[in-house]
Amino acid sequence: MSDEPLLSVRDLEVVFHTERERIHAVDGVTFEIREGQTVGLVGESGSGKSVTARSILGLVDEPGRIEGGEILYRGEDLTEDNWADHRGDIAIVFQDPTNSLNPVYTIGNQIEEALRIHQDLRGRAATDRAIELLEDVGIPDAPRRVDEYPHQLSGGMAQRAVIAMALACDPDLLVCDEPTTALDVTIQAQILDLLAELQAEQDLAILFITHDMGVIEDATDWVNVIYAGEVVERAPTEALFDHPAHPYTRALLESIPGRTDPDERLPTIEGEVPTPTGPATDCRFAPRCPEAFEDCRSVAPEHVSLDGDRSAACLLHDPARSDGGERQ
Amino acid sequence: MAGAHGPSSDAADDEVTPETASTILPTESPTLVWVGLGAGLLAFEVGALATFLVAILSDTLAAASLPGVGFVEGIEAAARQLPTLLSRETVPNEGYWNGQRWVGTFLGLRPEVAWGIRVALVYLYALAVAGWAVLGYRLYRREYRAADWTPRDDVIDRFRNHGWGLFGLAVVFMFVVMAVFAPALGPTTVDKNMRNSYDNELTYWDAETDSVETILVGEANLASQSRGDGEERVGPMEYDDFGRFHPFGTLPTGRDLFTFIAVGSRISLVIGLLSVGLSVGVATSLALIGAYYKGRVDLGMVLVSDGVMAMPQLLLLIMLTTVLKDTWVAGLYSGAFLLALIFAFTGWTYMWRSLRGPALQVSERQWIDAAKSFGQRPRTIMRQHMLPYITGYLLIYGSMTLGGAIIAIAGLSFLGLGVSPPTPEWGRAVNLGQEYVDTGSWHISLIPGLLITLVVTGFNALGDGIRDAIDPRSDAAGSDADDGAAAGRGGGA
Ligand code: SF4
Repeated sequence: MSDEPLLSVRDLEVVFHTERERIHAVDGVTFEIREGQTVGLVGESGSGKSVTARSILGLVDEPGRIEGGEILYRGEDLTEDNWADHRGDIAIVFQDPTNSLNPVYTIGNQIEEALRIHQDLRGRAATDRAIELLEDVGIPDAPRRVDEYPHQLSGGMAQRAVIAMALACDPDLLVCDEPTTALDVTIQAQILDLLAELQAEQDLAILFITHDMGVIEDATDWVNVIYAGEVVERAPTEALFDHPAHPYTRALLESIPGRTDPDERLPTIEGEVPTPTGPATDCRFAPRCPEAFEDCRSVAPEHVSLDGDRSAACLLHDPARSDGGERQ
Repeated sequence: MAGAHGPSSDAADDEVTPETASTILPTESPTLVWVGLGAGLLAFEVGALATFLVAILSDTLAAASLPGVGFVEGIEAAARQLPTLLSRETVPNEGYWNGQRWVGTFLGLRPEVAWGIRVALVYLYALAVAGWAVLGYRLYRREYRAADWTPRDDVIDRFRNHGWGLFGLAVVFMFVVMAVFAPALGPTTVDKNMRNSYDNELTYWDAETDSVETILVGEANLASQSRGDGEERVGPMEYDDFGRFHPFGTLPTGRDLFTFIAVGSRISLVIGLLSVGLSVGVATSLALIGAYYKGRVDLGMVLVSDGVMAMPQLLLLIMLTTVLKDTWVAGLYSGAFLLALIFAFTGWTYMWRSLRGPALQVSERQWIDAAKSFGQRPRTIMRQHMLPYITGYLLIYGSMTLGGAIIAIAGLSFLGLGVSPPTPEWGRAVNLGQEYVDTGSWHISLIPGLLITLVVTGFNALGDGIRDAIDPRSDAAGSDADDGAAAGRGGGA
């Protein structure tokens, strides 16, 4: 692994312009991914994690706009409209496999479409390669499946096909936006295993975007916890699970038992993620934070480095603010 | 590929449902038989088809005053020599009574019977062609398509059970066949009966002198006028004094109304298709581009279309037809081409409004993002991944707009604008007959009026049927809004 991160997102700002206000969906997100690493971006729905994923791929549509920060891919800033040069280096797998596949084309057609662009394969060669890819992602009877339409596949199989489609671009980084949320628990585990396998074989870096702490625990090396458009804690996965530093992370961890029902959204945290419309003047978690104290409502917390490489943006860890300044 | 779709066709063989059974041609190679059938059907009309194609070519060349006109005219003459089996020459209905029997008609039958046979043959032929196309589709579905089922099959099945839609399809089919086979359907021709009526002669049995006489068609027309009651009219399904059969009666000028209507249907259909085709082209491209880029691009289009919609369509039509009267554009196809252009210019906005929603909806689907993420070109994404989802809406709104266009053309001709005489147009027939609606010559206005209503209803019904087939949950509120828009548009022009 080289020193330079594969992908480095710095102070990313994505703003959606509506008639009434400017919504800061992503408000200064910073994190990095090294080659072959699996990094998680975890948060509730509405926290800005999906917009972050879309930004990395250059898929932010109007009225949204990237208004600040940089997304460095191997040191090159993608936000300066360099996505076209790196198409295929970064691939994405979306949440709902049935929605990621165009129902009017066969699985093979869609994989071949990517192969034509990125590996200049067509005709027989493309079909053969598509079948190989389907086999790689563990789809049985691939030569037949390649001619089937998306509706003929089960959810799990369809998600495998989507992953095959992403792999057809021969990417270095795979962004997985809630890749298992729409699937049954048993299928979830299989897809996670598959991703782990692929990563080991192909030295792929993976960015996992999810609300599910369970997925993070199973699949990632490093975690960024995102809340209201900001990363509030970053830490190696194991350390984070052992000693969560931010009250929000602790709340998320308490919600793990609920993960058997994929639809359930973190029932233990009361309230909703606020939608930032301007610069932060307080801790955005304060209204829901069980440990909030006075300063939390008047000071925006900065990241404080903790042991190891980890850091958290919480005034509890700011020696100048909180009484003890100790982590719990 | 052959090996790949093997299993699915095997599966289909196992369960022979009545439907699949009926598609099985009793032969080893159904495709060959199918192609053979097609060739056989084509042979009936090869002459007419060749003449038609060459005529279009030479008209275009002449209009653009390009060289090679003479050469093409040569081909045209040659094309006319090719036989056409379903033509008026093969089954003639024009003849005369020589005192003992009919001379010159098909097998010596009465003109009305001869004409009836020809009309029946033409429609049978058209049905056969339609049946052949359906057979082809089933063959493809059974033998060549890899999947046993696709979502489109459900759409077709739902349409097959939609009575109102089928009614629309039947009406539209009759209308289109009338337009396509217009020259063969009329009891006489536009050239002989209208354009050059004084250059053509007609043989008839003169009851007073008990002998066979000849007369110029123009003069015969003068004696066959429908201008009132009794002696002054030739009504539907009647003969005039010259032994000519008039299925729909005659016009106040003594010309044959059925011939007029048959040829008029052609011009309505051509203008309708051309204008709808152009609006569909413009509206689809704009809807796709707007939905793909969103934001300001989309907003710009809203502004432009609002601007176009704010222009009063009827005034614009009257103004442009008057201003451009003497230009070469107005000369193309008796002014029909110009009309189509104006309709397209004012009509695309309605179509675009209807397509914008569905297009935006599709653009939110994740497979669009997936295609973008692996670097597919915007144009390809629009064509391959978005267009298929709005083609259904294109059919719906295209069908409804076509009805609107037909009303609009008729309305303009009624006012004496648009298609220039003597080219027949339905609206002009309504206009010609309006003085006589309270007399025995009521047929002149009533028949074309009813036909316009029927055809427009047919196109709307077809549109309704397609919509319900595509989206079975489409609610009554939505359909009211659509009908209102179509009716409003027809009324406006
Ligand atoms: S800064 Fe205060 S409110 Fe915010 S997370 Fe820390 S303790 Fe809670």
